[in-house]
Amino acid sequence: MPGSTRHGITRHGDAVASVAVLVLALAVPFATSDPFVYSVANQIMVAIPAALSVHVMLRMDLLTFAVPAFMAIGGYAAAIAGLNGVSDSFVLTALSFGVPALVAVPLGVLVLRLRGVYFVLVTFVMTEIMELLLFETPALTGGSNGLVGMPPTTVLGIELADNRAVLLLAVAVAMAAVVVTALVTGHYRRSFAAIEENETLAASLGLVVWRRKVVGFVVAAGLAGMAGFSLVNMLLTAHPTSFGSASAVTYIAYAVVGGRGWLLGAIAGSALLVSMSNLFSNQGQYAPGLFGLLIIVVVLVARGGVAGTLADAAARLRRPATPAGNTAATKFAAAAPLAGGRP
Amino acid sequence: MNEFVSAGLIGVSLGAQYALLALGFTLIFGILGVVNFAHGGFYVVGGYAAYGFGAHFGLPYVAAVALAMLVTGAIGYLFELFLLERVVEDELATLMLTLGLYLVMSTGVLVGFGPESPQFQFPVSGTLRLGPFHLPLENLVVLAVCLTAIVAVYLLLYRSDFGRALRALADDRQIASAQGLRPRLLFPLAFAVAAGLAGLTGALVTPILSLAPHVGDPVLVTSFLIVILGGLGSITGSTVAAFLVGLVEAYSSVYLGGSAGALALFVVVLIVLVVRPSGLFGRDVRGA
Repeated sequence: MPGSTRHGITRHGDAVASVAVLVLALAVPFATSDPFVYSVANQIMVAIPAALSVHVMLRMDLLTFAVPAFMAIGGYAAAIAGLNGVSDSFVLTALSFGVPALVAVPLGVLVLRLRGVYFVLVTFVMTEIMELLLFETPALTGGSNGLVGMPPTTVLGIELADNRAVLLLAVAVAMAAVVVTALVTGHYRRSFAAIEENETLAASLGLVVWRRKVVGFVVAAGLAGMAGFSLVNMLLTAHPTSFGSASAVTYIAYAVVGGRGWLLGAIAGSALLVSMSNLFSNQGQYAPGLFGLLIIVVVLVARGGVAGTLADAAARLRRPATPAGNTAATKFAAAAPLAGGRP
Repeated sequence: MNEFVSAGLIGVSLGAQYALLALGFTLIFGILGVVNFAHGGFYVVGGYAAYGFGAHFGLPYVAAVALAMLVTGAIGYLFELFLLERVVEDELATLMLTLGLYLVMSTGVLVGFGPESPQFQFPVSGTLRLGPFHLPLENLVVLAVCLTAIVAVYLLLYRSDFGRALRALADDRQIASAQGLRPRLLFPLAFAVAAGLAGLTGALVTPILSLAPHVGDPVLVTSFLIVILGGLGSITGSTVAAFLVGLVEAYSSVYLGGSAGALALFVVVLIVLVVRPSGLFGRDVRGA
């Protein structure tokens, strides 16, 4: 079962390292003024909350395609607020988390009865509906023109207008997303693990499964909304095509390629795949194919994702004597004779 | 009245195309338990293969369509045999692999044929006049071929040893394997059949609708909708649902216009999913 062994790196360590990575990322805007680096870093910061949204759902063994739908709600909420005179970054970030989270409460109660492929399909359909709704409600969303002309956001009254400030805000939003994810998955660690392993058993042992699942779904929606805010802020426009259902798969790819079950995985996957797809874009029309090949190779070669494979390698270096000694069963078998020789 | 009937014919012939597509999609899900994100890719490759064999090698259209079906089937066979089979038990991994294949295939098409739509014309044109009604001949031809293919798939699945073996594996892989059926031999063949069906549909339909590297995306969405409505893994269900979706699409584009029809369809599908997850004809499916 993926996620049952953590190879000596604790949940706590995972969360601390994830926040540390983002603190380091704060230095990027000051280390360089290369517009290409700014652009890639900004895309990565948009990808991280979206990948974390997928991550939270995967922790409950649910694969979601609804990330673009909630990104759209968060992004459009921030854009509409911006056009109506709200410019404070804290308020906008809170809105972009809160509005999709509120929408997710009734939706979650409805769709979380579904599991497996049915959940995949229902979230896919939700994203399709959202894209059509954005086109069909021009009074609110600008329809096919989208929304443009949002004023720059502010922090304590200071305008965040240039590229550096926009990137700094994106890093801050991504960091907030990491902290929220770490707090929620840390607090509900056991419930989520129980649901991932065996939902029926968890329910029969008295866990109110649907309530936990709704919490996870609502938080995942909020995280996606934050990604939507960062995206809108980066592009300076909110447009339906930014939230198409095809992009759902890329966010899943970030979380899975990075390593499901790890916060660091969502970050590593976002950084790796976004940078690679920007590198590939030098290759013009070959770019999507190279991206596809990369995904195929990682899935076939590194089953635990980037983070899982690195952690495996680290664990092997630390304990060269027991190369396959990671499973609970072999650990138990090794420990049993020492523990008094009972069968 | 004339408008109503010709929209109906277009709906039925759309339904037949969708049925072919959805058959392949639901076959893969029902038997392998894999959600095939590359399905739209096989449709596009089928279209381009038929175009390429006709335009570059001067083959007649019928031969080009048959070859396109073989080519897509072969790609599907090799993909299942060498890549998908290694991770077939892992839902996430299969999803990622089929997605990767889709990206690779659509890039291959883009690099090979360029981004512009090629001139790919259906060899039959004109209309059939039946009293007051005008029926476009090309739609009738596509309808006939699709219906034949659907019947062939039914015969293959329900009247042949191959089909019985596949359905046994779908019901219970362990027991079927214990009885001597070999998934490693049969799964690639099943994938080849499904990919070939998508390729055939692409070769038949793209000269009428449109052929471009990106036309696979809506195909995937439509396949999704149909298998949800019909019930995942249910062959009869997805065939019936395909005709329903085809008719709704044709009539709503005539009488409602825009994307309102599509929106209504999605909402209906969402309600069906929530109220009756196993679809209109479905049975309970693994993992749900």
